[in-house]
Amino acid sequence: MVLLQPDPFLNELTSMFEHSTEKGTVWVTLKRSSLKSKVQRNKMAAAGEPLEYRCLIRATNGKKTISTSVGPKDHQRFQASYATILKAHMTSLKKRERKDKKKVAGADKKEGGSKKPKRA
Amino acid sequence: MVYITSWDEFVERSAQLFRADPDSTRYVMKYRHCDGKLVLKVTDDKECLKFKTDQAQDAKKMEKLNNIFFTLMSRGPDADVSEVTGKEQTEAQPGKKGRGRKQ
Repeated sequence: MVLLQPDPFLNELTSMFEHSTEKGTVWVTLKRSSLKSKVQRNKMAAAGEPLEYRCLIRATNGKKTISTSVGPKDHQRFQASYATILKAHMTSLKKRERKDKKKVAGADKKEGGSKKPKRA
Repeated sequence: MVYITSWDEFVERSAQLFRADPDSTRYVMKYRHCDGKLVLKVTDDKECLKFKTDQAQDAKKMEKLNNIFFTLMSRGPDADVSEVTGKEQTEAQPGKKGRGRKQ
């Protein structure tokens, strides 16, 4: 498991998405963690020190796993970049046809499938 | 698996689950481009909530949920989550809106 800094992590995540377009999955897990072992945590709690929590983010494509940890200060910047990456790559999801009766510009990569014909 | 059909219910229950046990709750997202499917899972290893979709509009909603989780996880479960915008405006950066601050 590779622990990276937030920025290289985002780059790797992007390339993971790119490589798994034809087949494959991308999993991303978010968990809160203090990154310390239980013993250390107990010690800190006993000493009255406040525990510093970070958000642990892991990503895998089934073969390779990468991870990073984000603290409260950098989390907003990270979440903005993360959102951008997701938006850019989740293109194969279907778009709602309800309002668009004229043309659904859904001629993306794999949108063929079984689309219901429009009712005129 | 416990699939939830309503998005709002999923968000509501996930936030509850997290606040009840922040140390063991995790949020997992699985995306398959070839199938065009997105699955979200929130679990604390005792209870599991899932949500699956193939709609692009749900991806946008998921982004808001991501923001909520990021905030909760990095700042602590008692963090103030402005669920509407997803961005914290409490004390974020006061310098941005100040006009004529620098003289």
